Amino acid sequence: MTMRHTDVVASALEQIRANKLRSFFTLLGIIVSVTFLVAVVAIIQGMNAYVRENLASAVIGSNAFQVRRFPIQVGLIDDEIFRRYARRPKITPSDARAVRAAIPDAQAVSLQSGWPTPTSDVVWREREQDDIPVFGVTADYQVVQDYKFSGGRPLSDLDVREKRPVAIVGADVADKLFEGVDPVGKDMRIGGSLFTVVGVVAKKGRVLGQSFDAFVMIPITQFEMMYGRRSTNTISVKMREAKDVAGAMQRAEEAMRIAHRLRPSQENDFSVETADALIAFWEQLTKVLFSVIPAVVAIGVVVGGIVIMNIMLMAVTERTREIGIRKAVGATARDIQKQFLAESIALAAMGGMIGVAVGWLFAMGIAAISPLPARVTLWSILLAVGLGAGVGVLFGVYPASRAAKLDPITALRAE
Amino acid sequence: MRNTDEYPISTTEEREAVVATAGAAPEEDWVIVTRGLKREYDMGGEVVRALRGVDLAIRRNEYVAIMGPSGSGKSTLMNLIGCLDTPNDGEYWLNGQLVSAMSDDQLARVRNKEIGFVFQTFNLLPRATALHNVELPLVYAGVPGEERRRRAEEALERVQLGARMLHKPNELSGGQRQRVAIARALVNRPSILLADEPTGNLDSTTSEEIMKVFEELADQGQTVIMVTHEPDIAAHARRVIVLRDGVIASDDKRSAFTQKVGL
Ligand SMILES: Nc1ncnc2c1ncn2[C@@H]1O[C@H](COP(=O)(O)OP(=O)(O)OP(=O)(O)O)[C@@H](O)[C@H]1O
Ligand SMILES: [Mg+2]
Repeated sequence: MTMRHTDVVASALEQIRANKLRSFFTLLGIIVSVTFLVAVVAIIQGMNAYVRENLASAVIGSNAFQVRRFPIQVGLIDDEIFRRYARRPKITPSDARAVRAAIPDAQAVSLQSGWPTPTSDVVWREREQDDIPVFGVTADYQVVQDYKFSGGRPLSDLDVREKRPVAIVGADVADKLFEGVDPVGKDMRIGGSLFTVVGVVAKKGRVLGQSFDAFVMIPITQFEMMYGRRSTNTISVKMREAKDVAGAMQRAEEAMRIAHRLRPSQENDFSVETADALIAFWEQLTKVLFSVIPAVVAIGVVVGGIVIMNIMLMAVTERTREIGIRKAVGATARDIQKQFLAESIALAAMGGMIGVAVGWLFAMGIAAISPLPARVTLWSILLAVGLGAGVGVLFGVYPASRAAKLDPITALRAE
Repeated sequence: MRNTDEYPISTTEEREAVVATAGAAPEEDWVIVTRGLKREYDMGGEVVRALRGVDLAIRRNEYVAIMGPSGSGKSTLMNLIGCLDTPNDGEYWLNGQLVSAMSDDQLARVRNKEIGFVFQTFNLLPRATALHNVELPLVYAGVPGEERRRRAEEALERVQLGARMLHKPNELSGGQRQRVAIARALVNRPSILLADEPTGNLDSTTSEEIMKVFEELADQGQTVIMVTHEPDIAAHARRVIVLRDGVIASDDKRSAFTQKVGL
C-alpha cells in the first residue's frame, strides 16, 4: 500500500512538463557539461581512431619501422631524459648500410632527413611557392612510403650516390607551381639552387587538415649539401609482411649496437620503433586531455547539481500546501520523498540526455565543417546519463527529505 | 426537514459507558472514541490549551455536527480525528484501534483508508483535473490506473459531477469544487467522512446543495462528522455537539438542539 513506481515517474514527468521553461533553465548546467563531455570525447576518440587507422601508417609506412636517434615520444619527456637523448650520436649513412646488411630480406631500407623539416621557397619561371617542406631521402624511402607516381620516375640510387640535383614533387606543388604544364624535365629553384624535376608523386590527400602533397623531395646527399646533416636523420625499414617486422627490428637493433660499438652493459643509443610508438605517443597526449575533461565536467555537473537542489528546495517551499494535501489523503513520508527524488533524478537524467543529443550534434557538426574526425562512443553516453542521474540523486535527496518531513497540518496551513 | 428522532443515535448513557474505562478497546460499533484528548500549543512560553480533555464517542452511521464559538477547538479536534495532527495527551480509538499510539506511516495509512476529509478551502491540487484530484488517494493506495480511474469516475458521478471530470479546479464553481473534494474524500470508501466548515466558503443555495449530498451519504450509512458555525447547517445533522473552551459543552439529538436555538 504505497505508490506504484509508474505513478511516481508519471508524476515527476508531469511536474517537469508543467514547468517546462524553469525545468530547462534548471538543466542548463547539466546540459552544458554533458554536451562538452560528449563532444570532446567524440572528437578525441575520432582523432584516436584516425591516428590509429590512417596517420600512423601514413607517417611511418605500413609493415615498417624506424631506427631513430630520438624516440617518437620525445615531446613528452622531461629535461633530464632529454639531455641523455641529446648525447646520442646522429644516425649516419653507414648505420643505414649496417641495417641494410643485417636485414637482407627487407623490401626497402632508407635514410631520410628528420624532424624538423626545413622549408624553402620553390620557383619555376615567374611562379613561386613559399615555404615548401624539403625532404632529403635515399631512393628506398619512396618504397617505404608506397609512393605512386603520376608522372616521371622516382629518385634512383644513382641520383643519391652521384648527388644529382634532381627532385620529385608532391601533387600540390605540381598543380600549383606548374599549373597544367607537365613538371617532368623542368628546371626549378629550391631555395636558390637549380633542380630538375624527374617525377610527380600521386595525390595522397590530407590528414587532419595537413596536406601530404605539398613537398619536394631530393637526394639526401644533395640535401646535406644545402642544409647540412640533420641531427635527426632516421632509418626506415619496410618488410614485405607484417609478421617479419618483429624479427627485423631485433636484427636492426643488433646491427646498430655493433655499428655503434656498444658493450653489453651499455644501453642503446638509438630507438627502434614502429607506428605503434606513434599511436602510443598520441594516446599519451590524449590521456592528458582525458584527465582534464573529468575535472571540467565535474565542476559543471556540481554547479548543475546545486542549481537543481536550489530549484527543488524552492519547489518544496512553493508546493508545501500540495505536499500537505497529498499527505492528508494518505501519502507517506516515503511517497513524498520518492516523488521529489524522482523529479530531480528525472530532471538531471533529462539534462544528461539532452546534453548527449546536443553533444552528438556538436561533434558531428565539427566533423562536418573541420578536418577533425568525431566518433561518439557508447561509454561517454552511458557516463553522461549516469552522471545526470547520479547528480539527481545526490542533490535531490536533501530537498526530497525536507519535503517528506513536513507535518501534514502545518503543510496544509501554508500559504 | 425530516424528524431526526426517527434516526437511532447513541444515547448519553451508552456514550458515557464507552468513554468511562480508560485504556479499554471499544467495541467494533464505535467508530470514534476519545478519552481525555488534549492538544496544547506552545506559543513562546505561553501555552494555548486548544483542547482540554475531550471525551467523545461516535457510533457507526451517526451524522454529527460540531458547533461552538470561534477558537473553541473545533478544527483542532477535527484535525486530531482526521489524523492530520497528534494529541499531547489522551486516547483516540478509531475502529477499535489506538490511533494515538501509531507511527507516522500507520497514520498515513489511516488517513488514506479510513478517513475522508473535506476542508473549508477545498484543498484541491490546482493543476490537476477533477478526476486526477479524486484519484489521488487511490494513487497512494497503490491502486492500478484503470481501476483507479473507474472508481474516481464513480465517485464523481455520486456527487453529480460526471460531466466535469476533466475540468481543473479554477474552471469549476465553489460548490462544484467542494463536490470534487467530497468525491475525493469518498473514493477510498472511508469509515468516516470529516468536514471542517464545508460550506464556510459557499453561498446559502450552494450550501444547501452540499448539505443534500451529505444527507444522502448519511442515509446510505456513511458516518459523517461536520464542523459548522451556522445553526441551520448543523440542523441537518442528527446529533449536535457544542464545544466551548476546548471541552464538550453539550452533546444531544438534533431535536433538542433545534429547540434550544429556536429553529
Ligand atoms: N497552530 C496553532 N498554533 C497555535 N495556536 C493554535 C494553532 N491552531 C489553533 N490554535 C489555537 O487553538 C485554539 C483553537 O483553535 P481552533 O482552530 O481549533 O478553533 P476553531 O474552533 O476551529 O475556531 P474557528 O471557528 O475560528 O475555526 C485557538 O485559540 C487557536 O488560536
Ligand atoms: Mg476552525
